[in-house]
Amino acid sequence: MSYTSFGYLFLFLPLVWVLWAVLPRRGRPAVLLAASLLFYWISSGRYLIWMLAAAAVTWLTGLLLGRLDTLSATTRPELSPAGRKTFKKQLTGAKRLAVGGGAAVLLGVFLWLKYWPFAARSIAALLDRMPGALSLTVPSYVLPLGISFVTLMAVGYLVDVYRGSCRPAAHYWQVLSFLCFWPHVVEGPFDRWDSLSGPLLDPPRPSYKNLTFGVQRVVWGLFKKMVIADRANMYVKAVFDDYTQYSGLAVVVGTLLYTLQLYAEFSGCMDIVLGSAECFGIPLAENFRQPFFSRTVGEFWRRWHITLGAWLREYLFQPLILSGPWKSLGKFCRTRLGAAAGRSLPVWAALGVTWVAIGWWHGAGWLYLVYGLYYFFWQLLGEIFEPIFTARIPRLAELRSRRWYRLFQVLRTCLLVLGGMLIFRANGTKAAIAMFRSLTVPYAGSLLIQLDARDLAVLAVGAVLLLAVDLLHEKGIAIRQRLAAAPLVLRWAVYIAGVLAILIFGAYGDNYDPAGFIYAQF
Amino acid sequence: MKALKGPALRIVAFCLALLVCVLLTGNYLMPHSNRYLEGYTAGGILGEDFDTIDVLVLGDSNAAQGIAPMKWYQDWGITGYTYGAAWFSVFNAYYRLKDIYSEQTPRVVVLCTDIVYSKRGSETYFDSAVNNISGELFPLLRYHDNWKELNAENLLQPHDYSWRDPNKGFMPLTGVAGYGGGDYMYDQGRQAIPLLTELYLDRIVRLCEDKGSQLLLITVPAATSWNHSRHNGIQAYADARGLTYIDYNLDPAGMLGLDWATDTPDSGSHLNVLGAIKLTDVLGEYLTQNYDLPDHRGKAGFEHWDDDARTWTDTMDKAIPNAMQAAGLTQ
Amino acid sequence: MHTNEEILKVLAEIKPGLHPAADDELIKTGLLDSVEVMQLVMALGEEFDVEITPADLREENFHTIAALCAMVNRLEEE
Repeated sequence: MSYTSFGYLFLFLPLVWVLWAVLPRRGRPAVLLAASLLFYWISSGRYLIWMLAAAAVTWLTGLLLGRLDTLSATTRPELSPAGRKTFKKQLTGAKRLAVGGGAAVLLGVFLWLKYWPFAARSIAALLDRMPGALSLTVPSYVLPLGISFVTLMAVGYLVDVYRGSCRPAAHYWQVLSFLCFWPHVVEGPFDRWDSLSGPLLDPPRPSYKNLTFGVQRVVWGLFKKMVIADRANMYVKAVFDDYTQYSGLAVVVGTLLYTLQLYAEFSGCMDIVLGSAECFGIPLAENFRQPFFSRTVGEFWRRWHITLGAWLREYLFQPLILSGPWKSLGKFCRTRLGAAAGRSLPVWAALGVTWVAIGWWHGAGWLYLVYGLYYFFWQLLGEIFEPIFTARIPRLAELRSRRWYRLFQVLRTCLLVLGGMLIFRANGTKAAIAMFRSLTVPYAGSLLIQLDARDLAVLAVGAVLLLAVDLLHEKGIAIRQRLAAAPLVLRWAVYIAGVLAILIFGAYGDNYDPAGFIYAQF
Repeated sequence: MKALKGPALRIVAFCLALLVCVLLTGNYLMPHSNRYLEGYTAGGILGEDFDTIDVLVLGDSNAAQGIAPMKWYQDWGITGYTYGAAWFSVFNAYYRLKDIYSEQTPRVVVLCTDIVYSKRGSETYFDSAVNNISGELFPLLRYHDNWKELNAENLLQPHDYSWRDPNKGFMPLTGVAGYGGGDYMYDQGRQAIPLLTELYLDRIVRLCEDKGSQLLLITVPAATSWNHSRHNGIQAYADARGLTYIDYNLDPAGMLGLDWATDTPDSGSHLNVLGAIKLTDVLGEYLTQNYDLPDHRGKAGFEHWDDDARTWTDTMDKAIPNAMQAAGLTQ
Repeated sequence: MHTNEEILKVLAEIKPGLHPAADDELIKTGLLDSVEVMQLVMALGEEFDVEITPADLREENFHTIAALCAMVNRLEEE
């Protein structure tokens, strides 16, 4: 069931809300769980079994970790200091085994289904080139809905319990409610147990404010998706699928529109799901913070798909650096190359691994590896040259506080991001290279590809609107609160105009291709 | 409960205000002429004088390209109209029929059954039903893209729905691309009619009963989109409701004589003008023999029709030789 | 016991030119990004011979020089 479908917006969401609101407080978590299970079942049928099993593994592992902690709290004080030390060691070993086992099962299924076909394809291609009769059949699997999101959320929960930063859930239904909560199961955000469990398991009272604010946010998300993203999609599809026909300015416009499409669509989907959850008084994690005002690519990724970056930082990048092999690497670099290298090289190596993970999370294919490495390259370049620039250009700090210099940084970042977007959308690595090359070839044809001038005008207005809203948010202005305080007539006029704008300018119906959500396929 | 009353009232009031705006905008964005209400000329029925249509054909492109009511007028004086639109559905048919009844009282309603199973590949039957029904209830959803047609001249121009179609909804195609796939009516299964579709079929049946029209189910020959299990599905429905059903894919009377090598413009999914004339002939024969349909030729109040018949003759005098030539039937 | 000055010295090696006061926000203001934080972690571990674990990597331990100093002192006692 798509978040933009009639069934979701006009049947599922209102019915669940009414049922949730009329039931007494104790029944509300059950409504949320039942709704989530129904949503998952409608969307993916028998793959619900995977969801139930993944939640069971997560719950049991969490429980085991909790038991080990209780055991430690009751046994430890009775031991001698020496006994305490060995006990602690044994206990840490047991906990590691538990968290490692649970995560291995969850990640194993995920990696197998998502990456083994790609790995097998690559190995088979290699075997073909070699003499001998070796061959490999390449399997193809259907991924359970949201596996890329649910698996990482489950692993994050286990690691948090292991580290002691949150307490494990006592009951199976609680973990299931968390993992398959319908607003975040398809495209994220990656939520964390410690911030979501409270409102999810003991939801607040139904409130008019939550409902109206939630609905407003859903409408804004629909506007982004239906008016901007679905319209841009037709242009983008033509240029990228038939890339040999286009060059120069057409590729530039295509890439710009793809960037607009992806931003409008992904952040629009987040508005729909965060708005949906807000109706129930449940705050999901924000995934975007005005990304196109970033001054570096590193900052861009802290503002774009925030929860993915945060997950990888906390559960991959940081533990990697603090791990045994990385410490040895640090020691090696320090003794051979000096103190500065000893500090930087291991961190950069971990950064490389993280970027590869970001790339490959988006899909099993060489293109996504290139995508991750593309950003790694620019960030590493910054890391290497930063100390040199600061040393050579004494005015740099003063320069950076200037407004025009900041603008220059923002534009530079946007340009690099556009390059990343071109790679991301291209139909394979070869196509990406060909498209970069074609940028230098002038384009003589019409720029009205699949869309007419009026469509492009709508896109331009939409882009300006997005930018204006982001600018206000960047300045810390809470638009919805301001609007809610406005006189009723003005307020209603704005809301009605918003809905009418979607209905009139939405790219739906016979003249447009329906486009699925891009991030739902990851 | 009392605390909820204020917000609930406000929500209802807002929804009403929104509804009014949506309906007004939808009305405003409807095409300026009834010529453009549909891709084919179905909208032309609004330009006909009240209570002049005796046979109303409802269907999709197969009907619009396959049934030529002016031939009935020429041969028997029967007034008919083919209301056909691309991707027409049973849901569309119900609402349009209801609308048409406000101006016309057809004696016979001919429902072309391929609309029962038609849906876009990307949709589920449920999505298709929801989209169709909401499109009928809110014209804005159907005509929203017409904002692109607005300009300084037509911004305030009122709607003019008096355009008449001399072809009465028929769209003659003269191209020829034969179908060579052989027999397609052999499947012994039975494709069930989707639940909501059946519900609306029943509504159409009841509407016709209430308005005193006789309902006839037919299937226009279509080699690539029809099959025998669909035939069985419709036959079972017709039997259960006591309706007459003629599937021209089977040519039960053996009078149609369709030649798939020459009578289709697109390798078997539609009929060209050669196929359409054959189908219109046998269907007209059936109508005259089984229903009481008056001859309106030369009668007062049907002067338009006599004019249209002349235009129709001119059109056919060009279209048929063109199609014959394309089919290689003339030198 | 270590002092804020010692922490500042280590910080200066990683990010020259940065002279925050003991209670200046380092993380929220963006003075330190995640790469620099990890470089700082490596440098602190090496300089003071303490073992910083993933569980210690919380914002409350890193947001000011004073917090960093407190963490190093606590880890050294364990």
